[in-house]
Formats: sequence, structure tokens, C-alpha cells
Amino acid sequence: MLKPHRVVIDKVSSYTDEAAAFMRRRRHHRREFVRIRFQSGAESDLPSGAPEADRIAAAARRLIELG
Amino acid sequence: MADVNGKSNESGANLPGDDGLAAASARVLENLAELEPQLIAGGIFDSERNPVATTSDSPTWAREAAALLEALEAGSGEEEFDSAHVASTEGEVFAVTESGLSLVAVTGRFVLASLTSYDMRMALRDVVRSNPRNPASEAGNGGSDDA
Repeated sequence: MLKPHRVVIDKVSSYTDEAAAFMRRRRHHRREFVRIRFQSGAESDLPSGAPEADRIAAAARRLIELG
Repeated sequence: MADVNGKSNESGANLPGDDGLAAASARVLENLAELEPQLIAGGIFDSERNPVATTSDSPTWAREAAALLEALEAGSGEEEFDSAHVASTEGEVFAVTESGLSLVAVTGRFVLASLTSYDMRMALRDVVRSNPRNPASEAGNGGSDDA
């Protein structure tokens, strides 16, 4: 049987794990990306901050805003 | 839904040339909207990025979608652009080209990307099949079987 203080520590660590997982999921959900597939079959994730990616992302955002 | 030329697609008939293409595109966009509940807006464009049919009521939507296609082609560099998936915090945009036609679709966040792209490609092939006289069906990007 676990000592009482071990139970408390386990509970606290479980809550912090949950919180960390929530933050990871939230970060992932908010991630923006530009993924292009070419006719050769190759695929490329344009790096964010690259001029091409920014131009495409800006055009996509305008389109989403228009709905 | 109306095509951008203001023509009705009520008859659903395959008319020759541009009329048939616009009618088929409008019909296909309706079908796509049924398949994709998260579809917000969509539009089909010809090889010169002129709108053939769109679902959006906004007059600037087609222009912005054409700008996106242009940016995607520019962003492809020396490779030939086939399809794209752009995600932002507010929604996602998909673009697929097939046989000289392009389909741009705006969806909600976290749709199944591969399924959406597949449905869009099938929709474009449906348009091409419906219009054997469409010059776009002769142009082409090969129409490969992979989705």
C-alpha cells in the first residue's frame, strides 16, 4: 500500500501531465502550414517565414475570411 | 448555386463548350458540398485561372482564389504544382489541379485532408468526363490515377 504522501504526489504529477498534454495539443492545433504536392509525386512543407509560404498563407487567410 | 457566368444549371444537361463546363462544374460543386459537410466555399477554375463556377456569394472570392493558385504555382518553383493544403488557425484551404482545371475549397479546421483532396480530384474528373468537348480535357497534367 502506498504511503499517503505518495498518493498526493502521484495525483499532482498526473494533473501536471494532463496540463502539459493540453498545452501540446493546443500548440499543435494552432500550427499553420503550407503543404504542396507536385506532379512528380514529391511533397513539400514550405518553411514558415519563407516568402513563398507567407504569400500563400496570406492568400489562404484572405480566402478563409471571405468564406 | 450559380456558375460565374450567371447561367442556371437547373437542367443539368451537358451543353457543349463553356456552358456545359460551367453547368457541370456547378453540379459537381453541389455534390462536393454534400460529401464534405465542412466545406465553406469552393470554386472551379480553368487553366488560365478564370472562374468557371463558385459557391461563394462574395464577388472577390474568385479573385482571391485565383491569386492563391498563382501563389501556389510560384511557390512550386521548377516543379509542376499538383495540389496543396494550407492550414491556418481559422480554417483550411485545399487546391487540386486535374486535366487543366483547378478546384479551390475552403473548409473548417481539422477536416480529413486526404479524403478531402481525393473527393476534390474525383469532382474535377467528373467535370472533365461530363465535357468531352472541353479543351481542358485535352490539356493536361496527365490525369494520373493516384489521388
